[in-house]
Amino acid sequence: MMEGIFRINGKEKRFTFNPRSRLLTVLRENGYTEVKEGCKEGECGACIILLDGRLVNSCQVLTASAIGKEIITVKGIGDIHSPHPIQEAFVEASAVQCGFCTPGMILSTYYLLKDNPNPKEDEIRKALDGNLCRCTGYVKIIDAVKLASRKMGEK
Amino acid sequence: MNEFDVVGKSVEKIDSLSLATGNARFTDDFRLENQLHLAILYSPHPHAEILDIDDSEARKMNGVVDILHYKNVEGVLHTTAGQGYPEPSPYDTVLFDRKVRFVGDRVALVAAEDKDIAGKAIKSIKVEYRILKPILDPEKALDKGAPRIHDGDEFTPIPVKYSPERNLAAEIEIGFGNLKKGFKEADFIVDEVYTTQFASHAAIEPHAALSYLDEQGRLVIITSTQVPFHVRRIVSMVLSIPVSRIRVIKPRIGGGFGGKQEVLLEPLVALVTLRNKRPARLVLEREEVFRSTRTRHPMRIRLKTGVGEDGRITTLKMDALLNSGAYGTHALTVLSNTGAKVLPLFNKIENVHFIGRSVYTNLPVGGAYRGYGATQGYFALNQQLDIITRKTNQDILKFLKDWHIREGETSDVFRALGEGKEGVSQIIKSCKLDECIDRGAKEINWYEKRDKKIRARGDRVKGVGVAIAMQGSGIPMVDMGSATMKMNEDGSFNLNIGATDLGTGSDTILAQIAAEVLKVPVEKIIVLSSDTDFTPFDVGAYASSTTYVSGGAVKKCAEKIKGQMLDVASGLLESKPEELIIADEKIFNKKKGKAVSFEEIAFHSLYRENQFQIQAEASHFGIESPPPFIAQFAEVEVDKRTGKVDVVKFVSAVDCGQPINPKLAEGQVEGAVINGISYALCEEYNFGSTANLLNCSFWDYKIYTTLDIPEMVTIIVESFEETGPFGAKSVGEIAINGPMPAIANAIYDATGVRLFDSPFTSEKVYNRMKEEGII
Amino acid sequence: MNEIEWFFPERIEEVIEILKKDKVVPHSGGTGILRSDFRRIKGLIDLSLLSLDYLQSNNGIVEIGAMNTYYRVVQKLSQIAPNNVLIKSLSDSASTPLRNRITIGGSVAYFPIWSDLMGPLIALEAGLSLIGEYKGDYPVLEYVRNRELRNKTLITGIRFKPDNWDSYYYRATRTETDYARFNITILLKKSNNRIENVRIVMIGNKERFKRFTALEEYLKGKNIDRVKIQEIGKNLEVSFAGKKMGSPEYVKHLAGVELERGLSRVLAIS
Ligand SMILES: Cc1cc2nc3c(=O)[nH]c(=O)nc-3n(C[C@H](O)[C@H](O)[C@H](O)COP(=O)(O)OP(=O)(O)OC[C@H]3O[C@@H](n4cnc5c(N)ncnc54)[C@H](O)[C@@H]3O)c2cc1C
Ligand code: FES
Ligand code: FES
Repeated sequence: MMEGIFRINGKEKRFTFNPRSRLLTVLRENGYTEVKEGCKEGECGACIILLDGRLVNSCQVLTASAIGKEIITVKGIGDIHSPHPIQEAFVEASAVQCGFCTPGMILSTYYLLKDNPNPKEDEIRKALDGNLCRCTGYVKIIDAVKLASRKMGEK
Repeated sequence: MNEFDVVGKSVEKIDSLSLATGNARFTDDFRLENQLHLAILYSPHPHAEILDIDDSEARKMNGVVDILHYKNVEGVLHTTAGQGYPEPSPYDTVLFDRKVRFVGDRVALVAAEDKDIAGKAIKSIKVEYRILKPILDPEKALDKGAPRIHDGDEFTPIPVKYSPERNLAAEIEIGFGNLKKGFKEADFIVDEVYTTQFASHAAIEPHAALSYLDEQGRLVIITSTQVPFHVRRIVSMVLSIPVSRIRVIKPRIGGGFGGKQEVLLEPLVALVTLRNKRPARLVLEREEVFRSTRTRHPMRIRLKTGVGEDGRITTLKMDALLNSGAYGTHALTVLSNTGAKVLPLFNKIENVHFIGRSVYTNLPVGGAYRGYGATQGYFALNQQLDIITRKTNQDILKFLKDWHIREGETSDVFRALGEGKEGVSQIIKSCKLDECIDRGAKEINWYEKRDKKIRARGDRVKGVGVAIAMQGSGIPMVDMGSATMKMNEDGSFNLNIGATDLGTGSDTILAQIAAEVLKVPVEKIIVLSSDTDFTPFDVGAYASSTTYVSGGAVKKCAEKIKGQMLDVASGLLESKPEELIIADEKIFNKKKGKAVSFEEIAFHSLYRENQFQIQAEASHFGIESPPPFIAQFAEVEVDKRTGKVDVVKFVSAVDCGQPINPKLAEGQVEGAVINGISYALCEEYNFGSTANLLNCSFWDYKIYTTLDIPEMVTIIVESFEETGPFGAKSVGEIAINGPMPAIANAIYDATGVRLFDSPFTSEKVYNRMKEEGII
Repeated sequence: MNEIEWFFPERIEEVIEILKKDKVVPHSGGTGILRSDFRRIKGLIDLSLLSLDYLQSNNGIVEIGAMNTYYRVVQKLSQIAPNNVLIKSLSDSASTPLRNRITIGGSVAYFPIWSDLMGPLIALEAGLSLIGEYKGDYPVLEYVRNRELRNKTLITGIRFKPDNWDSYYYRATRTETDYARFNITILLKKSNNRIENVRIVMIGNKERFKRFTALEEYLKGKNIDRVKIQEIGKNLEVSFAGKKMGSPEYVKHLAGVELERGLSRVLAIS
């Protein structure tokens, strides 16, 4: 087993883990269940997190390679008492059906809007190309990203 | 139109913020102390007898706690189909059998201290198989001398045709009028065969179940299910424990689409927990979901229609062959739906004959899947109508309008075809299909594009196609939902419902229905759903029943609450209940100019005088199943050199009665449409030489992403269904029926070739164009 | 299952020492390692502390450190060589979060048959810098052909001349984010109405990859108006195995059509 310190949503955490383990598994085992597991193939995006500011599939990251790094999950950008405008936008646009894809979708949106506050439709689609959603047909999700962009522009 | 306060408004889905912030918990998000992890050993053979299982190596492994297989688990025949009781599916399954019937069938299970150990242990179980000849072609399943797939004591709990000795899982035959006469009257006959493929539900949350014993030793199951009450009943039966000893909780569910209407994992975790007195966790990997759970039933449908020169359809014969796979889950009901949800739409055809057979094969097992047989039927019929109208030079839109069922009309099929028994006759009270067709056609620019073969970029040609469909709203006289409510001091209400929200938003729309009755904002309704200890019975989320059936129960229940509140208020206001009106969370006597707030009513009833809890319960079942209607239009571009098809625009115009929550209703349509397009163009199962599924991953089983979707337009046409709660009908399934036929018809419009066999992969379209000499 | 040992070297010299150990290999993005389920691996060398994420242009040569992700290459190359074929090929590859993880070094070493990197690199006649057992600079083709070069060796970076040729890149996929069944890279240099030079590479065929040298020779020096594009696809000498995206015959047809389209595009004829 290995040990390492990670900075997760602003807090330092020490985990013991198997050197073969995926970051997804270790995060979930340690209570970060907002990071979802849909495939472990890198295809669905339910496990998406920000790793040192970069959007990645946590199932495609070996835990050992993330030691010392900054991890942000969907809980790290806002919570139910003070949600992030993107989280509000997803709610208002009815972009959340089952919600299993939602944490990943929201982080992909966050990552997009950080560098590109006023994305065009095709840029939005491209930014969400790593997130599968079987419920919504993506229409309301794309609406939500546009709404989030407007909301954040107003702030 | 009707004026509502809460109904018809796109209020925020009540659980969406907790989902968007990662707070809401799905099955695998619950922590359990001291839990066992489960792993399953699956059959590598499509058909084999298990001669022996040797688990001695595995038992010796450190951390292995329990191993289950046919030698140590009693084989209780049941069906995994989570349907009402008695189920219309055959009892042909036991937890662990001596025989395996498809690659992915369950052989053994290991419970271990961690997942890795469990995974390693299953690999060290030695199984001795005697390989049997498999049936891989459904057309050959009924042949004399075909291998027999089920040869034990399997039976059907209801009296229906079932002959496992012939591999026949179900058979249905109905007819009206005179087929022969109809064919005689015809000037020509259109006789075509349509086939559809396997498809995965691909809910992004894999199947998962947990179990533990509570402080009193009762079994608690937390599970990703569409049918918590059926889970409780089936687990009770399979494990021979009383219902009273089981509690089933459905937390947030990551999509179902029918795939979680199956009781697959729950008996396994329950058994491990009961045997070992320890919590158990079983979460499938994506590969296992593909290999071992359920799929859409592939079908072969032959349609034979007699047609007059004037374009009249004189007769219609539908002959359906359903590939049920290794077990008969939903084999009868999906099959009957292919007739029951499709044929009534064209009720003006006088001579109709439907014959359907479901057969066992050694392939993956079919189950419930959004659309439930109607999808396959509409694929065939909508294309057949396109063929007929083209042959007879008719405007298909006008033809569809002339032939579809209308308000005030009925169809013999309603009565003849039910869920494994006769159906329930009904007269259509709301049908705005003409308007759906008109508005959809306008949106797609139908007349500017149809038959124009407009050239697009490169070697591409454009085409448009249409499909219409109906579905139902619950199973009449069968599906029941119920609700209980109580009032709290601050004028809020608890609403407890058995109904199962899979992400569809049913918790929200049921709260809206209650809120509408009581004229309160939705925030005043606190919803608890799907916990068999705390919520009353509901059949669960299937058959498009929740809004109509469970919604009916909620409306009744809220009305009872309202009655009790009026009683209290009439005492306080010294008025007769008839003199009172409810608004703004108060009860008024306008004449007297007096009012009492909900809060006062609650306090009064709870603390002051003649104390009682304002509370009520209500149950509801549909005595009919009013169909929603839809018209769907696809615009495609076909690459004439490669056969690649792109859907560039897709329009759906739907009559779902009064939408309780328009955005959630649109969301149901949009999700179903994209699933439908993806199914039409790229989703399929590829099998290897031993009938093993090759593409059991998202890597090779492709579903649509944001980059694949066309321009989408969803139109909700104004409509009101008098028998539904506040005018509502269902909307969850219907929209998956149109994409495949609309796209096929559009491909024809673009290229002049028919696709009789889905999915329409580039190679298929290319080969068809070559066959027809178009390229 | 053996325990995996991790190493976190800070200097290249340390890596050289660690590489000598049995079955200890580099870890870059880790996506390929996970896919192969740690086959034949006892130890992993994390490369993230070695500053191998440079991307610069030196005397007309672009040098890309092995640890650059697909995303970074697209970003940075867009600034120094905006027409380079890698920009298109890598930005269409996989998905946004994966492009943030997949590295150049790992992708050269792993070279999957769906690689969106290797076609362009072969066409660009890129070179690799290696250290370890086989230290030195090697043409990418040599690395690909000689498996021995992978043994106990680290790719530190790639190099190529970003000639301002016209380029075309095509991926054959079932859905937009699918991995490519095959892909085509075309680089072409025109002068006046003549094809001065051309390179055509396909990845994903039976031989894994193919450079169409005969076709290149046929095209070279030709007057653009004289090129008979319609004949090229049909006569393409390439074959496919497996059934993904259709039968081998169909995939071959598709490859022919798309190659013709690519040529028409770069030759700017319609
Ligand atoms: C879902 C999914 C989809 C994908 N789609 C595509 C696609 O469409 N197009 C595409 O091009 N790629 C795609 N990939 C990426 C591809 O399949 C490989 O996973 C990737 O190229 C490997 O790169 P890596 O940086 O993760 O390498 P690693 O996994 O870190 O390493 C892979 C191998 O290379 C060795 N290695 C790593 N770095 C070095 C080095 N510097 N020197 C020598 N050896 C080294 C390792 O020891 C290992 O053997 C996809 C991956 C996934 C998971
Ligand atoms: S779980 Fe990581 S991409 Fe699906
Ligand atoms: S909302 Fe269910 S998967 Fe996206």
